Amino acid sequence: MAKIWAVCFYTFRESLARKTFVTFFIISSITLALFLFALNVDIVDGALRGIAVFGNEPGRINFNLGEFVRTIETGIATALFTGGLFLSIFATASLVPNMLQKGHVDWLLSKPISRTNLLIGRFAGALAIVSFNVFYLILGTWLILSIKTGVWHVPFLISGVLIVVIFAVLYAFMVLLGILVQNSAVAIMGAYLVIFFSPWLYQRDRIYALLSERIYQILLDGLYYLTPRTFEFGEIVTRSVLGQPVMTWEPVWHSVLIGLFFFGLAIYFFHKKDF
Amino acid sequence: MIVTRDLSRQFNRGRVKALREVSITVNPGQIFGLLGPNGAGKTTFIKILLGILHASSGQATLFDYPVSSPSAREKVGYLPENHRFPEFLTGAAVLDFSARLSGMQNKQDRTDRAEKLLKCVNMWEWRSTKIKKYSKGMLQRLGLAQSMLHDPELIFLDEPTDGVDPIGRKEIRDLLLELKAQGKTIFLNSHLLSEVEMICDEVAILHKGKLLRQSTVRELTTSDQRFQIHADIKNEHLLERIRQSSNALQTANGFLEVVVSNVVQLNSIIDMLRSEQILIQSIQPYRQSLEDSFVQTIQGAGAADFNELLSNQTATASEAHNG
Ligand SMILES: Nc1ncnc2c1ncn2[C@@H]1O[C@H](COP(=O)(O)OP(=O)(O)O)[C@@H](O)[C@H]1O
Ligand SMILES: [Mg+2]
Repeated sequence: MAKIWAVCFYTFRESLARKTFVTFFIISSITLALFLFALNVDIVDGALRGIAVFGNEPGRINFNLGEFVRTIETGIATALFTGGLFLSIFATASLVPNMLQKGHVDWLLSKPISRTNLLIGRFAGALAIVSFNVFYLILGTWLILSIKTGVWHVPFLISGVLIVVIFAVLYAFMVLLGILVQNSAVAIMGAYLVIFFSPWLYQRDRIYALLSERIYQILLDGLYYLTPRTFEFGEIVTRSVLGQPVMTWEPVWHSVLIGLFFFGLAIYFFHKKDF
Repeated sequence: MIVTRDLSRQFNRGRVKALREVSITVNPGQIFGLLGPNGAGKTTFIKILLGILHASSGQATLFDYPVSSPSAREKVGYLPENHRFPEFLTGAAVLDFSARLSGMQNKQDRTDRAEKLLKCVNMWEWRSTKIKKYSKGMLQRLGLAQSMLHDPELIFLDEPTDGVDPIGRKEIRDLLLELKAQGKTIFLNSHLLSEVEMICDEVAILHKGKLLRQSTVRELTTSDQRFQIHADIKNEHLLERIRQSSNALQTANGFLEVVVSNVVQLNSIIDMLRSEQILIQSIQPYRQSLEDSFVQTIQGAGAADFNELLSNQTATASEAHNG
């Protein structure tokens, strides 16, 4: 356990040494600073008297504070789900291929730690840095908004968890690709392809009409059930932040199972590999 | 401590046989040299022992654990050939990471050991510099420090003097001898004969994946002793008798060169000479160098490879000279 933690810790440090996460962090900080200084909410006796964003005062009348908070939070969650996810994938893609570099992997493997634990530590390190960045922004905005408006809207925090979970699932797939081809560009492309085709696969019944053979249908079905369902995940994130009811959580646990499956495969191939 | 039985490894679907049924036993407390020209399979052998590479067939154990188990590597240090440590770390951080992976949980222990070893390899003043900025020699010294940080019982060194200047080489040799004095076992890969000869107790000679010989350096360098006997012999019949009772014989203007396996054999030859009233003026032993022995061994393995080997030999010999 101490060894997994050590791998995790140094993976975190390796990620910090990369400029991507620093950029991520700076953007988050600027966003937080904006909310902190530019947003002025005037509350007297628990009731809204006035609100000013960048000095402008939106209508005093008929202003729903709760809706205002949820809109901002949805914006943040969406930005994180798209931009943040892309950035995280980009920044963590090289972690596994780097570990497998000649002269480095030999050294790691010569230590009294199993390959499984080595990979778990690496995965946990990547997850830690991404969670750190996501929650820095989410917790930060949540606190600032909540304190300033008095609206404590917990579902926003759940969206943070969901974003980290979908990253973990995608990252398991990237780890598998990284082990198999030892190339970060391929890992990035793999994850982006999954995100890109996810809405298509979700709406595959509309494509069926265009397909001549039944075999393609089966193929699409197979792909749908074997890839993380990022599109539906995104909808769940938006719905939960907006306070709308989430119809089914099935895409979430299904994707998590697929992630576990990918990670299991990655461990299996890592054990079989020679360096 | 290290036991392998019929260890084999093939690459490219059997086209490259990097190791062919290698059986080696290494006992604790010595410096063991695995010797062989480049491509002989030395690195492959070490990697299998450390679980980095899987064997195609055969068994290997470290401390009686099969090499597939992480426990086998508990008391093991390793300096890989052409190692790459995380570049964004400082020298001290590399050591800390290494120590934690090796199971040193106490932070104070780690910093104490790191300080001791960094001073030992003359890298103390560079401890806070990112290793990106290190030279090859500095990286090699850090690598050495890393390999002995957790006070392992067994240390694998793959070409440890590679890219190190002559003074550095001497320092490394002294360090290894000191470790041996502490009772540690060192497994050293090298293509430099002179180096192995200087510090190893026992050597195994590997050539094209085959183990040609495993014996003590002493045996290799003295097993076939060559003596020069200064005596004038005209008697052809006597020469023939001597030829038969020695391993090899050469004569040249009043000198007789015999190769024998032991001194008993030598003395019986002297008896023969004296019984014929031959006057012996002097007897001089030649100490055979490991290099002679190495060439002989490999020559015995197949004369076809010999030229290729010799070119390798001269290269390493001149390297050893320069270095
Ligand atoms: N991963 C690999 N794939 C194919 N051939 C390899 C691989 N590793 C080593 N070899 C081959 O195995 C042989 C032994 O290599 P190696 O163990 O590195 O020799 P040495 O360390 O004695 O120089 C060489 O012929 C080398 O080309
Ligand atoms: Mg080698």
